[in-house]
Amino acid sequence: MGLINSQNAPMIEAFPGGPAFLTTIDTVINWARSNSLWPLTFGTSCCAIEVMMAAGAANHDLARFGAEVARASPRQADLLVLAGTIVKRMGPTLQTLYAQMAEPKYVIATGACAISGGPFIYQSYSTVRGAHELIPVDVIVPGCPPRPEAFFYGLLTLQKMIREGESIRRPGERRKPVLAALPPGITIDQIRQELILNLEEKSVTKPLNEHAKMENLTWKI
Amino acid sequence: MNRTELLSTVLSLSTEFSPREKTDRPAVLAPVQGLTDLMLKLRDHSELSFDMLTVATAIDWIKEGKIELVYILISSTFKHSLQVGALLDREKPVAPSLSSVWAIAEWQEREIFDLFGVRYLNHPDLRRLLLEDDWNGHPLRKDYVDDFMLERPWR
Repeated sequence: MGLINSQNAPMIEAFPGGPAFLTTIDTVINWARSNSLWPLTFGTSCCAIEVMMAAGAANHDLARFGAEVARASPRQADLLVLAGTIVKRMGPTLQTLYAQMAEPKYVIATGACAISGGPFIYQSYSTVRGAHELIPVDVIVPGCPPRPEAFFYGLLTLQKMIREGESIRRPGERRKPVLAALPPGITIDQIRQELILNLEEKSVTKPLNEHAKMENLTWKI
Repeated sequence: MNRTELLSTVLSLSTEFSPREKTDRPAVLAPVQGLTDLMLKLRDHSELSFDMLTVATAIDWIKEGKIELVYILISSTFKHSLQVGALLDREKPVAPSLSSVWAIAEWQEREIFDLFGVRYLNHPDLRRLLLEDDWNGHPLRKDYVDDFMLERPWR
């Protein structure tokens, strides 16, 4: 990518067919970037179980979207998934990690804590009220924690942003944070119904009367 | 040893223990003075042998003006457990350090000192564990406030 950068862009535009060439190159570069996001393993609390483990494991399979290569080093990652509470002492570390990542870098804030402080917003001496106070956030995925499907919708939203946003003429251009909401045409009731069916199908727990028996047990030493 | 046997053994060990009611595990209350000796007795007794301190924590009873230290002991030989509580004055919380009895108590006590402000006597290294060294106050006390905290808009 060294030859094609913002300094060379006006030069290429002067040639016949230059603008069309640049646009094509933009499309190719953004397509490649959006389909090979390398997330940094930065799980600070329980959202990491959903977003890093459940989303990456076989049932949901993050590899379908090309973002499964989680890296432990910020130098090799370009997607920072904030999975969990950010406390004041973690703040400088988070800023260092963000600074160490190579451009272009993207940030997804998942879960209530990373978005706004969540349950710890009031009367907390340590919790940062939203990761946007420390670093710029591109996509917000609500939930406590969000289900892997919600995280995938956030990831697809980020991919869409990457494809439409940045170009060689306007490097570094980003859009405002996007809320990963429900896809159009899908209602909460449908999701609830599907969840109930899923739970009934995959249930491994005992029938309800067994639970009632277990609750009557007293503590042994 | 079942629950009642364990409790009666502990209570016969010293008259300073008093039993507690409505608990989900055997629990006794101990005085702060001479806590180290009592804990040593519990550790070295041949039928109790509480060789493991799993939990050392504190509760701030702000209405009563007390801070309660809670220790949960486990015997790895007999697989039984015991909860020991000790009440301190909230304004002058001073307690003997148990780091000579169980070595793990050293860091547990550093954490309690950090968050509740309990001063431990004869502690080898009483510094803050989690917060910064220049932190003012002890945040898990119920009346703690600082500039960073947001008050709830409702009551």
